[in-house]
Amino acid sequence: MLNQIASEVKATMGIYEAQEEALYGIMAEFAHPGELLHAAGAVREAGYRHFDTHSPFPIHGMDKAMGMGNSIVGWITLGGGIVGLTLATWMQWWMSEVSYPINISGKPFFAIEPSIPVMFELTVLIASLSTVAGMFALNGLPRPYNPLFYSTNFLRVTDDAFFLHIAASDKQFDLVSTQKLLKDLGGKNIETIRDSGEED
Amino acid sequence: MSETVKRNNPLFWLIDPLRSTASQADAAYRYSWSQMAWMLPLAIGIAGLVISAVGWATNSEQFYFSYLIGWAFCLSLTVGAYFFVIIQHLTKARWSVVVRRIPEALIWSFPLLMVLGIPILLGMHDLYHWTHHDLFDPASEHFDPVLAGKESYLNTPFFLARVAFYFIFWTFISFKLYTLSIRQDNDPDPSIPKLQRKYAAVGLGIGAVVTAFASFDILMSLDPHWFSTIFGIYFFAGSFMSIMAVMILVSIVLQNNGMLKKEIKLDHYQDLGKFLFAFTVFWAYIAFSQYMLIWYGNLPEETIFFRHRMEHGWEVYSAILLIGHFILPFVLLIGRWGKRWLPYLGFMAIWMLTMQWFDMFWLIKPVMEAEHASLGFYDVAAWLGLFGVFAAAFMYRFSRHALVPQRDPRLHKSLSFTNS
Repeated sequence: MLNQIASEVKATMGIYEAQEEALYGIMAEFAHPGELLHAAGAVREAGYRHFDTHSPFPIHGMDKAMGMGNSIVGWITLGGGIVGLTLATWMQWWMSEVSYPINISGKPFFAIEPSIPVMFELTVLIASLSTVAGMFALNGLPRPYNPLFYSTNFLRVTDDAFFLHIAASDKQFDLVSTQKLLKDLGGKNIETIRDSGEED
Repeated sequence: MSETVKRNNPLFWLIDPLRSTASQADAAYRYSWSQMAWMLPLAIGIAGLVISAVGWATNSEQFYFSYLIGWAFCLSLTVGAYFFVIIQHLTKARWSVVVRRIPEALIWSFPLLMVLGIPILLGMHDLYHWTHHDLFDPASEHFDPVLAGKESYLNTPFFLARVAFYFIFWTFISFKLYTLSIRQDNDPDPSIPKLQRKYAAVGLGIGAVVTAFASFDILMSLDPHWFSTIFGIYFFAGSFMSIMAVMILVSIVLQNNGMLKKEIKLDHYQDLGKFLFAFTVFWAYIAFSQYMLIWYGNLPEETIFFRHRMEHGWEVYSAILLIGHFILPFVLLIGRWGKRWLPYLGFMAIWMLTMQWFDMFWLIKPVMEAEHASLGFYDVAAWLGLFGVFAAAFMYRFSRHALVPQRDPRLHKSLSFTNS
């Protein structure tokens, strides 16, 4: 049960686990960004969820075609902001009211007015740090290893090739029908990727 | 001036310096709604001004202050439009081209505001304490050594010369930006964008100083002992926020009446909403910077500004300003959903425009009655009167030309703009 939840969470980060016989998934190459965009939409419509697209540059509309929806990173930012605000308020109050009160020209030990800059800065600081950290976590980064690297053809992804990969962990995945779907969508160089977790 | 654009009859200049080019506009960009769009605001405006005239007859001091509040509100919208257009040209902005004609039509309000400002000059003695001559006379019992030291700046002839210069400068840059853009609608001259950028650059640098000093002279000198160097930015922040609200509202009104339905997309609204949110926050940032330094310095000639606004009922108005101009909009506008849900965004735009007026009210009215907080009927009448006339002139001018800069080289980028 826990294992299943963990692998579902990892799947949302784009980290899919290999299935029986080290089967990782099927990858197909597409001729140009438009074709990849269309294929992503069709794969999504066919009911697949564990799939990803790879291209040398961002493609407009890909998020929508893949059905990615809105990122939840904003909520992580909000959490970070609230933590920063609370921390700054508490810190300044404790320092100037409890730990080391000093009378400066008759002003109150702790007042909200001079504390706001620090409250603001710490809110922004922790909110932005948690945004970056949250973005990395939600993307499953850093990730130096990806089973797709087993494919020599895949090396061209940073140059001039467009790939779509359907993971074997998808509920609908089937070696034959998935392969046929990719072929029907115009996929070339269709490869089955196996991930034994070892070097070649 | 080329063949494609003809200058208007000089008598008509206050409304529009150019003859109508609506007939040359592409069918999709043509104004296709009734004349009510400007007649209705004009009727409201005239009614408001008539009521204000009655107010002038009964209590002229009240009238001058109410009138200045409404006038400063209209000026802030125009200043916001001025800087928005300039920044779009200088950054070669692509997203905003489909809505740029709205602020472009709005910047030609400077000449009209100059004429509408005449009652303020007539009421200078009531509005501006430093116009009283005995303040500068050591023999008088009203002698004020602080103001006597400021006499070389705060005197009526120099004030009039400065304000005249501000308006001439604003009008000159606005004339160039407005006519160039209209000319571009039917003139494929490729040098136009470059010229627009040139005038925008001049308008930005000098315009920033002009706007800051205009706010010092027109608003800050109401309380002549007080000073705050950040005041110009405070005025700019509210102005820039207001023009976003105006663009959102005008776009919604146009689309509800069947114009630009495909051109202005939710993506554009979302960006306008982001700016609306951002400048609400920026306003608060600047307002707080001013407040905190004065609080910390604790010097009587500076704290008097906030003291007047935190006693005798004004503390309620200050709280309304803080909550209504920053805290609530911050929460209500931060989400993506609110910027893409038009009835909601339109409501927020009206709210923020009201708050901009309230901000002007908060700056100006306590000068008249520091001892007794009141938001009167005549304050609202003068606001609606001036804003009605102002909006009518704008809508009329806007309807006379293509609704978007139809030959702008970046228009197609704006039409295909997405914001996912």
